[in-house]
Amino acid sequence: MAAVVRGVLRGIKEKGLANFLREARDEGYLNCLLDGNLLQTKIHNIGATLVGVDKFGNKYYEKLHDTQYGRHRWVEYAEKGRYNASQVPPEWHGWLHHITDNTGDQLLAQKTARYLVEHKQNYSGEGEELIYHSKGHALNPGQRDWTRYQPWEPKKEQA
Amino acid sequence: MAFLARALRQSNSRLSSRCPAVAASCRWISPTAAAGSPEAGAAVAPADPEMPPPREPVGGARVELPPNPEDALEVFVDGHTVRIPKGFTVLQACEVAGVDIPRFCYHSRLSIAGNCRMCLVEVEKSPKPVASCAMPALPGMKIKTNTPVAKKAREGVMEFLLMNHPLDCPICDQGGECDLQDQSMAFGADRGRFTEMKRSVVDKNLGPLVKTVMTRCIQCTRCVRFATEVAGVQDLGMLGRGSGEEIGTYVEKLMTSELSGNVIDICPVGALTSKPFAFKARNWELKGTETIDVTDAVGSNIRVDSRGPEVMRIVPRINEDINEEWISDKTRFCYDGLKRQRLNDPMIRGPDGRFKAVTWRDALTVVAEVLHQVKPEEITGVAGKLSDAESMMALKDFVNRMGSDKVLCEGNGPNPPADLRSNYLMNTGIAGLEKADVFLLVGTQPRVEAAMVNARIQKTVRATQAKVGYIGPPADFNYDHEHLGTGPQTLVEIAEGQHPFCSALQSAKNPVIIAGAGLFEREDQDALFSRIETIAKKFNVTRPDWNGLNVLLLHAAQAAALDLGLVANPAESIKSAKFLYLMGADDISLDKLPEDAFVVYQGHHGDKAVYRANVILPSSAFSEKEGTYENTEGCTQWTIPAVPTVGDARDDWKIIRALSEVAGAQLPYNSLSAVRDRISTVAPNLLHVDERELPTISSEVKPPAKQQMSSAPFKTVVENFYMTDAITRASKIMAQCSATLLKK
Repeated sequence: MAAVVRGVLRGIKEKGLANFLREARDEGYLNCLLDGNLLQTKIHNIGATLVGVDKFGNKYYEKLHDTQYGRHRWVEYAEKGRYNASQVPPEWHGWLHHITDNTGDQLLAQKTARYLVEHKQNYSGEGEELIYHSKGHALNPGQRDWTRYQPWEPKKEQA
Repeated sequence: MAFLARALRQSNSRLSSRCPAVAASCRWISPTAAAGSPEAGAAVAPADPEMPPPREPVGGARVELPPNPEDALEVFVDGHTVRIPKGFTVLQACEVAGVDIPRFCYHSRLSIAGNCRMCLVEVEKSPKPVASCAMPALPGMKIKTNTPVAKKAREGVMEFLLMNHPLDCPICDQGGECDLQDQSMAFGADRGRFTEMKRSVVDKNLGPLVKTVMTRCIQCTRCVRFATEVAGVQDLGMLGRGSGEEIGTYVEKLMTSELSGNVIDICPVGALTSKPFAFKARNWELKGTETIDVTDAVGSNIRVDSRGPEVMRIVPRINEDINEEWISDKTRFCYDGLKRQRLNDPMIRGPDGRFKAVTWRDALTVVAEVLHQVKPEEITGVAGKLSDAESMMALKDFVNRMGSDKVLCEGNGPNPPADLRSNYLMNTGIAGLEKADVFLLVGTQPRVEAAMVNARIQKTVRATQAKVGYIGPPADFNYDHEHLGTGPQTLVEIAEGQHPFCSALQSAKNPVIIAGAGLFEREDQDALFSRIETIAKKFNVTRPDWNGLNVLLLHAAQAAALDLGLVANPAESIKSAKFLYLMGADDISLDKLPEDAFVVYQGHHGDKAVYRANVILPSSAFSEKEGTYENTEGCTQWTIPAVPTVGDARDDWKIIRALSEVAGAQLPYNSLSAVRDRISTVAPNLLHVDERELPTISSEVKPPAKQQMSSAPFKTVVENFYMTDAITRASKIMAQCSATLLKK
């Protein structure tokens, strides 16, 4: 506990109070106070290796010693409020779930991504406009036009 | 239900009128045809248990044996006795016996080539299998069609045909309706032995209608024979020998026949396919609707193939009396016009001159208000060239109820000869033209006015060397003809017997005079027709057993309009009109129309006349409605809806019926059958579908014409074969055709 207080005081001294508070909020330390999961992750992070950061800012940690095997890789989401598992992009998914030992950065370096669609998290419950709709779906904005005739346009070539 | 009942009635009348025998013994689809009808199976007990029972003729055909028994002969097909007329081929004898022989090059309407060898059968005492399509049947011939020899011969021929045929069925437009595909399944071997390279042939450019993939060609020469024999153009031919043999035009040349689309149907493989239809649909996705064509006055029988709301293609239907099994290119390829420039909402022209889409209620209210403000005699109704009889009846009744008698149909001229039916119909009938031996064409160029009638004349000329005399502007014919003159002067000469062509008419057994409907537009048409009747009388053209005096109409609506009495004078009616109701009339001249006249345009295409309209009421096209049309020979036929109407459009007669209610002069019919009941009181022949009613009164009761004949030469009536009405003018394919194929 004393170490934590000392660390906080040093931080305030180095960055100034305003900067320190902003950083603490951005890093999610304020959310920690109400969010046990995040607090646990933060505590877990102490002494772990940061393996990589993906393009969304999610941080991937690994701690090989002193942890239960199978719980030695984890992610700290960039989004501190409404985080969920679908925010992990596919290239990091394999590493995080012990499917592969290649990190996301290594996989990206191997694979050509020219035909891949940008990863999008699951927005269920976040509003209809964010949700993916198939091309025939009534809510898809880019719906197919099933009109099979071309109507006469009164404006065109009118005398 | 009503529609079903009508369809039944129609099919009944058709069956009973043409082939009562077939109606009685319906042909069943079963491996052994006789097994389907129990009484047939009971009557003919097979003597030999090994032998299958005798079958019905292929396609339920009837064979008429000649009255003289010496002209018939007897052959044996697979052990069964068949009596056939002399001159039948072995293949025809097999068809009578109910055995369908596989074939590629043989086509019943073309000459026999005998070069595909697919129809090989075994004939007893013949050393080799014989090509049945080219071998005349001889008395007592014992033909065997399913022996190992015949089967092996077919298998061998099929292997040779497939040797150089590409394996591109998955990307071939003929896939699913390909003779080669079907017959290789039925008669081909289960494996090929060919390991070398396949031959390839350069594709030919035949114009915007026919797509060629010449590597697929199996050299059946059907297209070559069709072009020379039916279309009457020498465009196609065979080049080279052996494996270098190919169909082509020799020098790069487009196929300029107006019947060129038919080579798509007769090609047994995918070598000639439809260019506009390429890769659009598969034939098993399409719904076929048997209807008729309205782009000219012939009323060709067609099948409209549709997928969902879209017409995908149009193909011919067999009708021996009208179009045999051909249709003109305009009929076949106008369908893309049905999808372009469509009127889909009622519109009103606002004070700023712009059209605004409104509801039906608003549009009809506006029209009804204006209708009550004008005097009754200032109301004029004009039916267009594509109108059906029901809507013309409704239009006439409506205009009459509003107190005006100015209702007419475009193209019928100032004083149409509507009193006697025989004065505006093709009395000989289209099929009857084949009996003629001298033709006199007056002011008509059937090649562009009615391509199917022209095909009949061409067929007759080719078969019997009939003479053709033509009076009119210089024109391009596809058979031998004599250009007698360009104007009425020549008619006078013939009537007075001074013209050299008179000798041909004099010696003719069945002379035919065909006057064009373009003459209706002339001021002196009464005098012209009385002169033509003089000629007819002089050369015995109309006899009790032969009526060779014909009028060739131009538009699908014309005959029915004259039957129903839409005969007002267009020039006078339009000049005095304050309220003009155009029902699809685009080609009537509106120059004389008063500036302040209120114009209602009811139609399916935004063509010429909409630009003058104040209110637009969208209606359905011929592919979307049930309507009665009478063709140029007076044969009544129905269209059947193939696709739904577009947007907010309605049937023509329904619009007029609704308008009459809003205007307070409600017409007394609410259903199509009620409209037809009304028609039956005016022109009962319009209800007798598929029948031709012979004229009962001869034209001699006509009073003599007092008019003076002008000496102005006849004018070309149809300038552009491919674009004659609102549908064809909207079509992109037709525009392409007129740009590339018309002779400039």
